[in-house]
Amino acid sequence: MKILSRSLLMLAGLVVAGASSAYGQMPDAPVVDFPYAGNRTGVWVVAQLHILFAAFILGAPIFAVVSEWLGYKNNDPKYDRLAKEVTKVTVILYSMTALTGGLFIFVLLGTYPDFTTWLIKHFFLVFAVIYPLLFIAETIILYTYFYSWDSMKGSKKARHIALGVLLNLVGTLTLFVIDGPTAFMNTPAKAAEGMSLVEFVQTAGLWDKVANYSWMPLNLHRLVGNVTFGGFIAGLIAAYMYMRSRTDEERAYYDWMGFIGNLIGVGALLLLPFMGYLLAYELCDYDASICPYMMADQLSMFFEMQGAMIGLIFLASNYYIWLSMKRIQGVEQVRISGLVMIAVIVMPAVMGLAWKMFPPPEWQSLIYLAALVILPPVLSKLPGLKFTVSAFTMIKVGFLMIVVADAIWMTPHGFVATQGAATHDLELPEWAQELALMPAKNAAAFTLVYLTIVNYILYNRGIRVGSISWGKIDFASQFVLIFLAFSAIWTMGLMGTVRSLTRKYFHVYNLVPDFTAEAFTPTLAYSAWWITGCTVVFFTVVSFAIMVTLRITKDKAPEAQGVPVPEGAK
Amino acid sequence: MAQQGLVGSIMKKGIIGIIIGVILVVVAKLTGFPFVFQVMFFSYAMLGALVFILLDAPTMNRLEGPKAAIGLVVFYIVLSVIFTAGASGLPQYDPEVEKGKIDKLLKARKARTQKGKADELIARAKALDERAIAIDKKLNSLGGGNIEVVEEVVPAASGAGGDIVALGKEQWELQECYNCHKLGGEGGKKRGPVMDNIGSLMTPEQLKEKILDPKSWMAEGFDKQYKKGKMPDKYKDLMFDEEIDALVAYLATLKNTSVETPKPIKMN
Repeated sequence: MKILSRSLLMLAGLVVAGASSAYGQMPDAPVVDFPYAGNRTGVWVVAQLHILFAAFILGAPIFAVVSEWLGYKNNDPKYDRLAKEVTKVTVILYSMTALTGGLFIFVLLGTYPDFTTWLIKHFFLVFAVIYPLLFIAETIILYTYFYSWDSMKGSKKARHIALGVLLNLVGTLTLFVIDGPTAFMNTPAKAAEGMSLVEFVQTAGLWDKVANYSWMPLNLHRLVGNVTFGGFIAGLIAAYMYMRSRTDEERAYYDWMGFIGNLIGVGALLLLPFMGYLLAYELCDYDASICPYMMADQLSMFFEMQGAMIGLIFLASNYYIWLSMKRIQGVEQVRISGLVMIAVIVMPAVMGLAWKMFPPPEWQSLIYLAALVILPPVLSKLPGLKFTVSAFTMIKVGFLMIVVADAIWMTPHGFVATQGAATHDLELPEWAQELALMPAKNAAAFTLVYLTIVNYILYNRGIRVGSISWGKIDFASQFVLIFLAFSAIWTMGLMGTVRSLTRKYFHVYNLVPDFTAEAFTPTLAYSAWWITGCTVVFFTVVSFAIMVTLRITKDKAPEAQGVPVPEGAK
Repeated sequence: MAQQGLVGSIMKKGIIGIIIGVILVVVAKLTGFPFVFQVMFFSYAMLGALVFILLDAPTMNRLEGPKAAIGLVVFYIVLSVIFTAGASGLPQYDPEVEKGKIDKLLKARKARTQKGKADELIARAKALDERAIAIDKKLNSLGGGNIEVVEEVVPAASGAGGDIVALGKEQWELQECYNCHKLGGEGGKKRGPVMDNIGSLMTPEQLKEKILDPKSWMAEGFDKQYKKGKMPDKYKDLMFDEEIDALVAYLATLKNTSVETPKPIKMN
């Protein structure tokens, strides 16, 4: 028996030796291990940095062209200068986008060669033809847009703005195109009747794969996110330059720029929760099991952190409005109907109840919302209901309600990382469970949005009845602008992490499993470290670009370049 | 003066914040909120106080030159620490729990892929190679004498070992059916029907039909969920036949008549 075993082993050894030498004749490259972080985190960091720079070069031109158009329309050179300065930083950071994009592909191919090749084959036309062509077109238009700024003044200004619009159209198209494969990884096309998903994807056309469940929601979410990003980055630029300003004129200009940046950033931010909700809705509609994974399982605390961040961003943006109002002389005269204040106070409860009775997509809840928004100003015209409160009282009550709305948004079903681990000591009491459900969260979101709009209305009334002293804003406001940019980008990183993690242990959800040892959900703490790291790296590069680029602008004295708009332009 | 005003404001609003916080904690305690929520409510009262302190804070002095640069760097460090610490302070999901699940879920799938087969062959070849070398060394040292050869232990395909009902129960856990269906009083958030007595209400064939085609059956009282397609139609793609059979075998054993289980209705 032992002789037989020994003979078998020797035979096996010979087979192994033969197999090894045959294998050795077709050598494979060694397996790549991303140093320190591991392959998954390596790809994550590079992708995150690329997305941040890409968001900048897509978001900033939207901001720039709107600003340029406002300058043209109002015959105000300040807007034109703002647009040019933002575009100048964009041009510098364009190369960083290309660099991190190239790095992303190399890292992906090195760490996940099989999957990357599979994805490229499925979207070959996108990766090899459409996307590069769009990127080249965008490059040409961006550089033409920037370098023709001075030569296309006066009567050619409208054409220059049209060029800016074209730049944004191409940029948006580029975003939509690359979102196709990204969204496909989350929600690959649904299989046709009688086919398995694998069979369907193998035979599906490019459009079937691109136009998947989450594609358009992702497009809209990223588009609005990019505008928010552009606005807050303009605010960041303004804050840096305000701090560096040595003259009152410069301070007045950058104070104004910070306000405009914040206005556009906050304006787009108001839409962002609903775009995010739409994306989450489509993900859950695609596969209902994604919902508990996000809200009640491994990712639930990621959403808790998101709630905290959104709350802080709304607090900060409204604090900036508050500081802006404090430097308006005569703002004390501004008053608003007391009914608006009452509407703000009852909004979380009323809307929570309305959404409980009529959850989306049922439309009846909107009647309640319309009543809360429209009735106060209408009823305040009636005799006996004309009581008013000062702007400052309204804003202070508003801040109180922002804290209340934040509390509602952040109240979880249980303080546990997964509902499976929930115990009586960590869960909401039975009677208060509604606080943790979507109707309450939606009500909190609407309250935050409504309050911010009311505050801007008050600000507008303030500048109509009083006079604004640009450059005299509280210095703390500059830190608020920086805080907003940092927090918005950190939140972007957090939510990008969540979107990627909803694929669970798949590269392509339900279709291509990730067989590596890293195919698990990392902890929120681990994720937060890397998100902070990415944000800090991004800020370091952007800060450097701002400091280097806008120093030159100052030396060149842009005011001496003539009026940027034709006479009589409207 | 401004400093004194700020200190006074902090004192005044801080005390008001604490009073409101204590009132919230008492009310929360009386209404059955656990301790962790009481802490949360108190924190919000203090956040409110902080907000009102900031609203009435005196104007900040301008920072210039190196002071501004240092101020900025410190501000970024503070933000980074607060955000990271805030996220780290929340309850953390233990990845080891999920790793075990993923390993079980993907092991069989990996083995069926070309790469999986190749990897397995290479691993076996390497193991055999090492053993052959070891035996060769041993033989040489012993001058060709008798040695004990340890038989290769082939790992079982599944930790549940052959018991189809146990395998099915494992599938219930791995596919996270408990996220939508309550069983034994655990899991489920009204997304799907209770399953305790499903084995009495459906035959194994009907259960299999429902898993493979969720539109084929509807639970009584779950019209909304049925219309929205809440039950994912992915299991026909995600699970192997033997896994589905095991899950069906497990579900067929669930015959606890004392728990009211919604009646299944044939739809198409």
